[in-house]
Amino acid sequence: MSRIKYVFRDAWRLVWRHFGMSLLTVFTAMTVFFVVGATMLFILNIQNIVRAMEGQLSINAYVKPGTDLNAFAESVKKMENVSEVTIITKETALERLRARLGNQANAVTLLGENPLPSSLEVKVGSAADVSDMARMLVAMPEVEDIVYAGHVAQKLSRLAAFVRRFSIVMLIIAVTASAVVLFNTIRVSVYSRAEEISVMLKVGATSTYVAFPFVIQGFILGLSGALFASAAVGYSYFRAVACLKDMLPFLSYIESYRYLGKLSLVLILCGTVMSLIASLVAVEKFIRKAGKPL
Amino acid sequence: MDTQQYIQFSGVSKVFPPDINALENIYLNVSKGEFVYLIGETGSGKTTLMRCLSREVLPTRGTISVGGRVLRKMGRFELALFRRDIGVVFQDFALLPNLTAFENVAFVLEIMGMPRREIEARVMDVLKTMGIWRRRMLYPQQLSGGEQQRLAIARAVVNEPSLLLADEPTGNLDNHTADEIMQLLLDINAAGTTVIMATHNQYLVDCYKHRVVELWRGRIVRDDPEGGYEGNVEN
Repeated sequence: MSRIKYVFRDAWRLVWRHFGMSLLTVFTAMTVFFVVGATMLFILNIQNIVRAMEGQLSINAYVKPGTDLNAFAESVKKMENVSEVTIITKETALERLRARLGNQANAVTLLGENPLPSSLEVKVGSAADVSDMARMLVAMPEVEDIVYAGHVAQKLSRLAAFVRRFSIVMLIIAVTASAVVLFNTIRVSVYSRAEEISVMLKVGATSTYVAFPFVIQGFILGLSGALFASAAVGYSYFRAVACLKDMLPFLSYIESYRYLGKLSLVLILCGTVMSLIASLVAVEKFIRKAGKPL
Repeated sequence: MDTQQYIQFSGVSKVFPPDINALENIYLNVSKGEFVYLIGETGSGKTTLMRCLSREVLPTRGTISVGGRVLRKMGRFELALFRRDIGVVFQDFALLPNLTAFENVAFVLEIMGMPRREIEARVMDVLKTMGIWRRRMLYPQQLSGGEQQRLAIARAVVNEPSLLLADEPTGNLDNHTADEIMQLLLDINAAGTTVIMATHNQYLVDCYKHRVVELWRGRIVRDDPEGGYEGNVEN
């Protein structure tokens, strides 16, 4: 029991008696976690924007007169990749036309009987599915014609695929760079105490006794860095979103506190575990070297 | 355990790269509770021999055993336990720079898992004996060379080791202080600890007669049960 107490006290000593080094490690950890957090938010927002654009893509399927709209809508809903089906009756179509015409809405009275056909507005999960869905709809006997932005769907589909690949690459680069920087900072911190580690082993400390304070120190510093980074990412993100909403109000941004809270938790957890592993590897490597007889 | 042969060197040689023969075919037996001076000029192999005993150095040939345990065969954990049972006064003191004098001495007892109260009592005792109790809150670099040396000795003896290796423990001290330190080492020896002391201090070797082992170019050239610094054996 005493030994555990001493180990924790030694870890605390390591943090406070090498305050400059500790501060440097926390600052480095904070910077790298900030970069990872900012990258994650950037990626998630891009994905969110693309998803929102994909969600706006729809196929208008004009149905033949006399078709039971509700029954047909139900059968379309059951099709794969369909996310939403809206029934547009002849009356709704006319209302929409009136709304679109604005001041000249009265012009529709010139049409006499409502010539607009009933239709279904079909939305699919992703832009990549739009063309296939359009092909399936046009082959159905109830459908007279379809209208959809095929060219836009194709481009959006390519953009979504690119964003997915880009996100993975960006995240891998950010996490790898952060891990390397953090590992080296912790290694420098451990190496600056090389003499101490060597003496501790010489007077009979076990490898575990020597390593544990360093690992706990890594945990404390990594956790501090991740907490500061998480706060900094949160603060600067909301400031950035406020600015962007002024400049690009038509884009949709992630603003859910709950979602951002979860993201912070992931950042803190990953940051702490990363620091812990970096400390363990650095100190173990050095202990092995220091403990080797000449 | 054979008490007559507490420490055994059997044909021990150590060659440092590229081809420096630090020790050559050493056969040495030391009984439990014995006090042995290791003498010889600089570079004769005294420190290497001591470092072999604490297993900081592994011999190129031969075996060393202490208390029946063969040092080469020890694993990491067993080695740590062995080192807790020996006290070492390093030539360069090897103090922990970020711990105070008190903490440096206490560290040895902490790794053994001793309760705080006992540690405080023991450390106070040994620091008072060494005459550095009032300097206990200072860091090693704030102490003089002599004080650092006393601190290194205090750390080496606080766990009442069964073997004490002292490499030039009086190197930085005047004769009066050296006498005090010597008296302390003799007291420790009288309590049953085997002491091996490497020294250049002719005065101490001649004054406090004990077994003298003289090294020359890595070989034992004199092993005198109660000799002085200057032996009568021709090298």
